[in-house]
Amino acid sequence: MPKWYEEQSKQSDVVISSRIRLARNFAKYPFSPKLTLEQAELLCEEIHNHLEEKKTKLEEIVGKYYYYNVIKASEIEKEALVERHIITKKLAQKKQPTGVIMTEDESVSLMLNEEDHIRIQAISSGMNLLPLLEKANAIDDFISESLQYAFDDKLGYLTSSPTNIGTGLRASIMVYLPALGISGKMDKLIDEVSQQDVSIRGVYGEGNKSLAYIYQISNCKTIGMSECDIIQNLITIVDQIIKQERNRREYLLDSNFDKYEDQVYRSYGVLRYAKQISTADAMTLLAQIKFGYDSKIIASEETPSFYKLMMAIQPANLQKILGKNAGVKERERARAKFLNESLPELIHL
Amino acid sequence: MLCNRCKKRDAKIYYTEVVNGEMKEQHLCEECAAECTRFHMSSTFVNKNVSVGDILASILGNYRGASNSKANEKADKKADTQGEEEKKDDALRCEHCGMTYEQFLQQGMVGCAKCYEYFNKVLSRSIKSLHGTDVHVGKQPKGYVSWMSKIVNELSEIEKKSILLQEAIEKEEFEEAAKLRDEIRRLKERERNTTKKTGIGKEESNREEINNA
Repeated sequence: MPKWYEEQSKQSDVVISSRIRLARNFAKYPFSPKLTLEQAELLCEEIHNHLEEKKTKLEEIVGKYYYYNVIKASEIEKEALVERHIITKKLAQKKQPTGVIMTEDESVSLMLNEEDHIRIQAISSGMNLLPLLEKANAIDDFISESLQYAFDDKLGYLTSSPTNIGTGLRASIMVYLPALGISGKMDKLIDEVSQQDVSIRGVYGEGNKSLAYIYQISNCKTIGMSECDIIQNLITIVDQIIKQERNRREYLLDSNFDKYEDQVYRSYGVLRYAKQISTADAMTLLAQIKFGYDSKIIASEETPSFYKLMMAIQPANLQKILGKNAGVKERERARAKFLNESLPELIHL
Repeated sequence: MLCNRCKKRDAKIYYTEVVNGEMKEQHLCEECAAECTRFHMSSTFVNKNVSVGDILASILGNYRGASNSKANEKADKKADTQGEEEKKDDALRCEHCGMTYEQFLQQGMVGCAKCYEYFNKVLSRSIKSLHGTDVHVGKQPKGYVSWMSKIVNELSEIEKKSILLQEAIEKEEFEEAAKLRDEIRRLKERERNTTKKTGIGKEESNREEINNA
């Protein structure tokens, strides 16, 4: 079964993926800061049993799924799940019993005992927030049929942190903004969108200087707006950002085509023939090659899925591909070899 | 960008302050921001693994810090009252899970659903400052019956219609009001007949008749 990130979407020159996350807690258990070890175990067991009892019904909504007892998984296994955004670092590092339910295509995951008792997450490639919300809502309703949520008439869904209160909804769109990044426009953009209750942060790397120009745009406000309005607001802003990015790309190529053409070919050359390479370097070069494909500077019979390649070359996932633990040097050689083989032959335009 | 003040270190904080209606914008480094503004970089910010909870705790801390320094500028007496109020806030404790408000400020997370009731006053203020409102308008759990609906459900048919009648009169929708009045009359009539037949609540119906008279 293809993973969600292997599917191509219409706006794939800018939009990588969409994600919906609902934070929920159950009325009868204390929240994360006060949850004891025994209660954490009971909580995971109760949710797991409830889902197992009605497995067929849940599989009608999400498809085939698996349950992972995260605390029993190996460090590499956990790290690989974090790199593929199935679980968060927080869940992987937790010392209490935790669990994750994930579907075969990795598009739906339910984290148990993270910051909230349950976090329902649905991801897909492209701009797909509304269908994802529908799916997350269906899972949400399924769970609330037999387990009572902590809900307040005025405040809505009660969450561990007041930053998620109300709808418990975090809608995010992962975007690729090389032109705005190269032109130093990101700081201004981050400032502008923050006034509209939306945040932008780099997915890889630290601070505003994001590695590979990949950013996550999400809603900040979770209460006082309906779920659909929150999503609509986010989509409107992302649409504007897409326009800005496309205009900027056009401008960059018009004003300095030779420079960018050279950069794209050099990056392709390095990744095709390098013998060893670090994650950060590989990410930057992959981002430049993607820019080359999107701007039609280069082409191949089949366009590779860059996001899939980016996830595959992260340390833990690379070791999973290798099937063994490997040190930094060995990983760098394996990463280079993997990329040499993954990049397709170019065709002349 | 370099810090506007020391012009040596990288500016990491974009600081806007409104004093007497005048807006002042500055790009500052962490050190200068801590020195010359009300913004204090807590150690959590310097730490690379900053969680949303840490940021929230810091914002709330700064929020209180700011109100505290404002209070200092005013008369001593007023500052004392403010200080006392804050002490009172810190002493707040959730009877259900034992979480104190001070612990909440440190972690940025509550201990249980009841914390929102016990810390209602202070939390509602911080939720408003974070989100602009503290009233949920979105989804409800499937089959959830709100407090208001519970009360409405417990009302008798006559009571429900009486409320609607009152509303119609207030809106000056007299045609609707007349309709409702007749319906209420009919319902009362029917009720009276059943009580007469069964003989139960004779006293009550007598009282009602006297009232009607």
